[in-house]
Amino acid sequence: MSLNTYRDVAHTNGYEFTQGGGYELPTYPFVPPPELHSQAPARHPIVIVGGGITGLTLACSLARLGVKAILIDEDDTVGVKGASSRGICYTQKSLEIFERLGVYEPIAAKGTQWSVGRTFAGDDEVYSFDLRQQGSFNLSQQPPFINIQQFYIEAFLVDRIQQLGHVELRWRNRLTAFEQNEQLATLTVETPAGSYRIEAEHVIDATGSNSPLRKWLQVPFDSKRGDDRWCIADVRFSTRPPTERHTWIEAPFNENRAVWQHLMADDVWRIDYQMAPNADPAHVSREDVVRERLARQFGPEVEVEIVWVGPYAYRSECVHHMRHGRVYFMGDSAKVVSPFGARGGNTGVADADNLAWKLAAVLRGQAAPGLLDSYEDERLEAARENVRVTNRTARFLRPAEGIERVYRDAAIALAKRHPFARALVNTGRMAVANPYTQSRIVQYAPGSAAGQSVQNVAFRWANGQAGRMNQLLDWAGGELLLLCFGALDAPALRRLREVLATTPLRAVQVPAGRAPAQASEHVRDPQGHLRGACGLAEGDEPAWALVRPDGYLAASGGAIDGRLVQAIGLTLGLTGVHA
Amino acid sequence: MITTPHWQDADTFYEQLLDAQAGLSPEQLQAFSARLILLLANQVGDAVVLAECIQAAREAA
Repeated sequence: MSLNTYRDVAHTNGYEFTQGGGYELPTYPFVPPPELHSQAPARHPIVIVGGGITGLTLACSLARLGVKAILIDEDDTVGVKGASSRGICYTQKSLEIFERLGVYEPIAAKGTQWSVGRTFAGDDEVYSFDLRQQGSFNLSQQPPFINIQQFYIEAFLVDRIQQLGHVELRWRNRLTAFEQNEQLATLTVETPAGSYRIEAEHVIDATGSNSPLRKWLQVPFDSKRGDDRWCIADVRFSTRPPTERHTWIEAPFNENRAVWQHLMADDVWRIDYQMAPNADPAHVSREDVVRERLARQFGPEVEVEIVWVGPYAYRSECVHHMRHGRVYFMGDSAKVVSPFGARGGNTGVADADNLAWKLAAVLRGQAAPGLLDSYEDERLEAARENVRVTNRTARFLRPAEGIERVYRDAAIALAKRHPFARALVNTGRMAVANPYTQSRIVQYAPGSAAGQSVQNVAFRWANGQAGRMNQLLDWAGGELLLLCFGALDAPALRRLREVLATTPLRAVQVPAGRAPAQASEHVRDPQGHLRGACGLAEGDEPAWALVRPDGYLAASGGAIDGRLVQAIGLTLGLTGVHA
Repeated sequence: MITTPHWQDADTFYEQLLDAQAGLSPEQLQAFSARLILLLANQVGDAVVLAECIQAAREAA
């Protein structure tokens, strides 16, 4: 059969409610906005369109920085009403961001931590990993991953935003028209009480994969559609499988197609079955068919409560530019990926965290408007990387008939005997904090980790109490954070004071070992984790690290000199690389 | 990528390669070749050399 003859089924990348009890979701009241009865449209610095995980993360980041914004959402709840749990897997970087925003504790209490993943082909385990054993994860105060239904995080963010103030959440406010010029955008918004118009200096499109703004603005994007079909069953069991990520490339209980098995909050398991390419979505998601499939995997004696079932198909998309005039594309409105490796929602969270501090710095007048263009440098690189990585996984999991299938069979056969071939077995490369290698605001230098994420590591405050990186970022309050490691001699102290007097920057000294501090603001790094997290060589040598409010390293160096001054200007978009 | 002779015994390798594939069906031949290529590729390891080898194989046709 040729690939063209497969039926054109009505799958979408989003999950569609088909079966099951669904979840009880919180609802939020519609409050008639003041603009309903005013003649001239009110002007707002920032309007966020879409209250999913991306839009709400941005709203919460702005609220924490004290920046005023309005978020409009067409629904009155989080999640898709009565239906899916959508994203389930949150990375260490996302969890670090959520900690900074003040929603990590409820997420950790509700969700499930995991670090072990196992991959099977037939009855053989071909690959396993324990992320806790990997150096790249073990310094942070957050675990490698927490699995939790996406709407829980969204609900925690809503509560937090309401606590923080500054950002107004407008439920049942639907964007129906949009226009923009050089200076501002005008949005027409429909509500149950009538429609109104508002003006915005900055508009954030966080409307997701069916973005109306992207259509209206005719934003060019690359797109790729596969014929692979999956059917998700979110279920509860009478017996519990282990708290590990299990993936089968060829599951004997699923006609030798792939299966994913993953735990979430409330003891709900996500079992994700790869279907035949021409499978009828209505049939594969019918309750008796789903139950039969589950019984084949877990045995007929296991009692199963079906929470939700939905069929879906892949599609990958990526815009060519993340900014069009006054509009910034973010999360799924900028790129859509297949779910392998948790590179969807986590990318949206990172998009939001990236733009929030930049908007705050520009609106406060501490940075040049050009700083906002670095959002595309950094997040388009991340989007492209995540599209590339997930497309590779999709190709391994659904090889084209012919030579692609031959090579996959070869890789699996070898992986069963030889460790080297396990590296080829691709059931998803787990999302990481994407490094920025081509950003206009990062000062790259040989040996510097500039452009990489700084983990939320532990240190000691001057009084001996335990602290962590996020608290230092909190203390910096949306300004740049300078860590000065080692001793500060008199000239260094003088230069540091000059820098502090003229730039929006908070500085803290980290003396070597128990050596006396020269600066009044200092912390201790007894285990060298702060130094390590900033990518600096071990030892007592003086060094500095400039950390951005999003926990990325902007620059690092040795002596406090002109390079530091230049790095600060660069990071705030005040000077170019060659200034 | 090495393009000058690097063999210890080219004739013996060639003979072993042909003997191993004698009598195999087209499907078995494909599978054998794929496994062998993956095994050999891991001996090389170096990403630049592997890319050059793929390119050279393309051009020689």
